[in-house]
Amino acid sequence: MSLFVAAFGFGLVSMSVIAIAAVGFTMQFGITNMINLAYGEVMISSAYVAYYLNKAGISIWIGMVVGALFGAAFSFLLNRIVYAPFQRKGTSYLGMVIVSLAISLMMANLLLPIVGYYSVSYQEGTGGLIRLGAIILTTNQILIIGIAVVVMLLIHGLLKYTRLGKAMRATSANPTLARNCGIPTQRVVDAVWLITGALCGLAGVVAALNSDSFAIANGAAFLITILAAAVLGGAGQPYGAMIGAVLIGLITELSAAAWSPEYKEVVAFGVLVLVMVLRPQGLLAKRGAMAAAG
Amino acid sequence: MRGFERYKVVSAVGALVLFVACGGGSSSSGSGLGSGALLVGVIAPFTGVDAALGPAYYAACLAAAPSINNNGGVGGRQVSCQQFDTRGEPADAVPAANQMIASNSNLMAVVGCTSDEAATVAPIINLHHIPMFCMTGQTEFNKTTLPYFHRLVPADIFDAYAMVGSALYGPGHAPYKRAALVFGNDIGSQAFVAPATNAFTKLGGTIVINQPITLGASSYRTEVAAMLATKPDVILTEALGSAGTYLKEVKTQNGGQMIPFIGTSATIDPTWFQQVRDAIGVADLTKYYGGVDLGYSFSGPAYTEFQTNLNAAASTFADAPKYKQRGSTLHLYDGIIMTALAMVATNSADPTVYNPKIKDIANGTSGATVVNTYKDGVAAIKAGKSIRFVGAGGENNFDKYNNSQSGYIWVTYDNQGNEVKVGQMTPQQTQDISAAGGI
Repeated sequence: MSLFVAAFGFGLVSMSVIAIAAVGFTMQFGITNMINLAYGEVMISSAYVAYYLNKAGISIWIGMVVGALFGAAFSFLLNRIVYAPFQRKGTSYLGMVIVSLAISLMMANLLLPIVGYYSVSYQEGTGGLIRLGAIILTTNQILIIGIAVVVMLLIHGLLKYTRLGKAMRATSANPTLARNCGIPTQRVVDAVWLITGALCGLAGVVAALNSDSFAIANGAAFLITILAAAVLGGAGQPYGAMIGAVLIGLITELSAAAWSPEYKEVVAFGVLVLVMVLRPQGLLAKRGAMAAAG
Repeated sequence: MRGFERYKVVSAVGALVLFVACGGGSSSSGSGLGSGALLVGVIAPFTGVDAALGPAYYAACLAAAPSINNNGGVGGRQVSCQQFDTRGEPADAVPAANQMIASNSNLMAVVGCTSDEAATVAPIINLHHIPMFCMTGQTEFNKTTLPYFHRLVPADIFDAYAMVGSALYGPGHAPYKRAALVFGNDIGSQAFVAPATNAFTKLGGTIVINQPITLGASSYRTEVAAMLATKPDVILTEALGSAGTYLKEVKTQNGGQMIPFIGTSATIDPTWFQQVRDAIGVADLTKYYGGVDLGYSFSGPAYTEFQTNLNAAASTFADAPKYKQRGSTLHLYDGIIMTALAMVATNSADPTVYNPKIKDIANGTSGATVVNTYKDGVAAIKAGKSIRFVGAGGENNFDKYNNSQSGYIWVTYDNQGNEVKVGQMTPQQTQDISAAGGI
């Protein structure tokens, strides 16, 4: 029993990491109609930016901020230079998916000779152990959960209570109508790429810190989990992605405790398949913050 | 296009991601060595979770090529090396092998083919009559019927026995009685589990947990909690690519205290050392790690030439010098040299002619002259002598299935990542473990 309680605690950490990444991913899709398969590579690139800073003696917590800024800038430029021109030419959804897949592969292969194929670690202590009954977490893991909670609250506040958030929702619902109503949709889209890029960069550093050891190959692995959470919750729905992250994070850890750990991802993706069969639009589609009015 | 159609695209991408998650021989005539460049294909994972394997084999080729080219080439033909990335996935390995063969009619040999892809690519390479030197320990190759397949390392089963030997008889500790098996859930890693379990339990030990782990996972917290709950004395592991993450978690959850861990010969690797050192610290790595390896001397004329060339290869591949003590790098270097010597000895670029000669050159025939370098080998052949090549990796002894093996030693690392021998199994211990394991 204590193993399940411990696994629940570990699941909280996993879901926190997934949530930060999945919310950024799903917002990109919800507002810009872009399924960005290069998201995992931007994450791992940001993780490496923080790694090199950390290697130079800078605290990983500062590296995390820089990683987020890098993710924001890189994602913004990626959209402006690559994705937006294709979208202006009327490239189909599927075509854009292929473009992003190409970008992902290019990034992975360009990064390989720069960062190497081997795993690296941040030079940062894990902090002290904190025991809450059978739950054992390090200080860093508690901080990761805290960061995720703060980020989720900020996203909620942004979407619900700010003009930019309302403009995002309007752009998501109907960009033409939003533009006709005077909303500067291009600036909104730019803001979305900056914000979601920052979430992507932050998630990359948090995920790398959480893993203790990471390599270039982790970019693709990150993406699979993020997509699973986003699709499970309802593509384009930030609150859905949060719920998806909770489910994926907890299921993977609890199933590792219940059965052989080699099946933990099988169980998580099995749940995803089940949800897609029973509710193809995801758990929260048409009900979340990004849903069209009415 | 919005609404339902958009969800269809998302569903299609989701399905694609799920799918991903669940995750010609030589054209030479047969007589004479021909002309034009020769190619050694390095088919191995260069990306993916086992991406650390391919570079070790590529380094071997980069070291071997100048040994041949600087000494007249193969009848004047220069040898070069090319990577073919399998991503460590059989599904990606097959097209990589086909592409390698279809677009290169000058392949003299293929090296690499790890356990990740050997089962799928070896038959293809064999079909095209290209000699191959594979770094797989899979049991299915113990009695292979593929005549172009060569293996210069023992089957994984012997690696497993050496690990059990280290746990039971290794120096500097009382016999470990409770072992946790932590291996990746890939084909290659799982090959260690059954023989290790058989040998360890029949010699009085207990396998407290057998934990196949998903390589490349972002964390192993629950797995480590479950493993620690069984209170093992020692962890037997491979888990390439994920060792740093797993072992750091062991240290964290165990209150900063490591548990002794014994790695396979594949853990004698500079990238593995760096990964684990960065994760748990060099002090704990050198204190708690034990490994097994084949008994290399790391000296002699063959090794000197190998190391010289490896250092020179840094201009092409900066990490090449790091592989100076990587067993597979030494062996594949020898394999390429032996192939070139076989071509010279048979005066043929036709692999159906020179392939059988590789075994003669490795094992030597009665009265053969022992040579250690390509230059000396060519000179001896031209003097009309039969030769036995003893290279950087030491003597080879191919059996009728083209499997070659030698004895194991127990090793650890020093602070710089150099291999340090700490002991060796006695013949009696080897016999006991082999008998217990079922061989």
